[in-house]
Amino acid sequence: MLLRIDTSSPEPLFEQIGSQVRSLVARGDLAAGTRLPAARDLATSLDVNLHTVLRAYQDLRDDGVIELRRGRGAVVADVPDHARLHAAIDQVVAAARDLDVPPATTMALLKEALR
Amino acid sequence: MSNPVPDRLRTTLLTLVVPVALLAAATAVALSWADDLPDPVAVHWGTDGPDGFGSLASAIWPMLLTGVVTSVGAWALAFWAGRASATRRIATGTSVGLAAFLGCIMVGSLAGQRGLADAVDAGGFGPTLLVAVIAGLVLGVAAAALVRTDRPQPTTARVDRDAPRLDLGDSERAVWRRSVHSRPTLVVGTVAVLAVLVATVLTRMWALGLLAVLLAALLCSMVAFDATVDERGLDVRSLLGWPRVRVPLDEVERAVARQVEPISEFGGWGYRVGRGGRTGIVLRKGDGLEVHRTGGRILVVTVDDAATAAALLNALADRSRAV
Repeated sequence: MLLRIDTSSPEPLFEQIGSQVRSLVARGDLAAGTRLPAARDLATSLDVNLHTVLRAYQDLRDDGVIELRRGRGAVVADVPDHARLHAAIDQVVAAARDLDVPPATTMALLKEALR
Repeated sequence: MSNPVPDRLRTTLLTLVVPVALLAAATAVALSWADDLPDPVAVHWGTDGPDGFGSLASAIWPMLLTGVVTSVGAWALAFWAGRASATRRIATGTSVGLAAFLGCIMVGSLAGQRGLADAVDAGGFGPTLLVAVIAGLVLGVAAAALVRTDRPQPTTARVDRDAPRLDLGDSERAVWRRSVHSRPTLVVGTVAVLAVLVATVLTRMWALGLLAVLLAALLCSMVAFDATVDERGLDVRSLLGWPRVRVPLDEVERAVARQVEPISEFGGWGYRVGRGGRTGIVLRKGDGLEVHRTGGRILVVTVDDAATAAALLNALADRSRAV
């Protein structure tokens, strides 16, 4: 898996790590049961604070994306197939382009709906 | 390649002179016993003691020939293609270890027959095998430890213009990580360990049990690796933590992804030396990462998504030298 963070981005680093793991899992690039790097290793590799990685892993665990097991580290959780969601997102994107709705407006609508 | 092979004198001493001297000494000892030995001597052992007999020469030749041919081959590889210390180390360890093992087998199998009228009365083979395995292992590891580790050879030259690169911004940091394991190795290895265990029980040659333990340890160290590419370079580490191979970022000349064929390129699977002195962590056929390192050294790792790893390694290496 490839993880990249941008230190000049306003998005907090732990969220950048978390959202990339989320999309890797959702796309099926990280299969259930895959071991994520130990938090300490990942922190060293990305030259970030250990707590940044731990925060990202804890958020992922809280959302059921990964499981944190003592001794085994972070493991990708068994999640249901997201194919239906991807299809729906494709439809939303297509509709937004058809109607010339700007991405920011679409995002705002989605966020509103998810609340 | 214009890169000279370092340490040729040491390589010749360790990989050729020492093992051939070991084999010569064993042969000399065996020959000096000629008058004390029965004729024919026992040369093969079954479950109930010796079951194959031949002349003294037939007890010496196979060991001597196998050992010398292996040593000359290992020396030639290390002498002409041993640009990486890992290549020289594997060649030296194999050469000395096998020579010690074969020498012990030769001398040990004859030692128990001195003074006998008939070789049928020769004792069991177990103790000889035990000593030979331990001697081969200890001397092989000791010789490998005497090989000089490569000094750091950093470069400031930019990475090959044509090498694939990941688009990486100045404020970006990235890490690539992948585990690679080999199910066939696990299956074949487990079968081999079980077979040796069964043979141990059947022949009651308990020294074989040690061989099973060694095989199992070897299997555990070779069955799965973690590969990481980050700001420090490439790090490939066995699940046991050993063996571990690191290529610092400042020694990367270029990295590419390519298809790897274990048998024809490396003669098998595991942590190996292959054609042209390449070192390889080769667990399966297919997608692999090939890193060209300073000093004409080449490392091959079979791993999925090697294209991303190569592109990131090139991008990181190039960025670190752009200043």
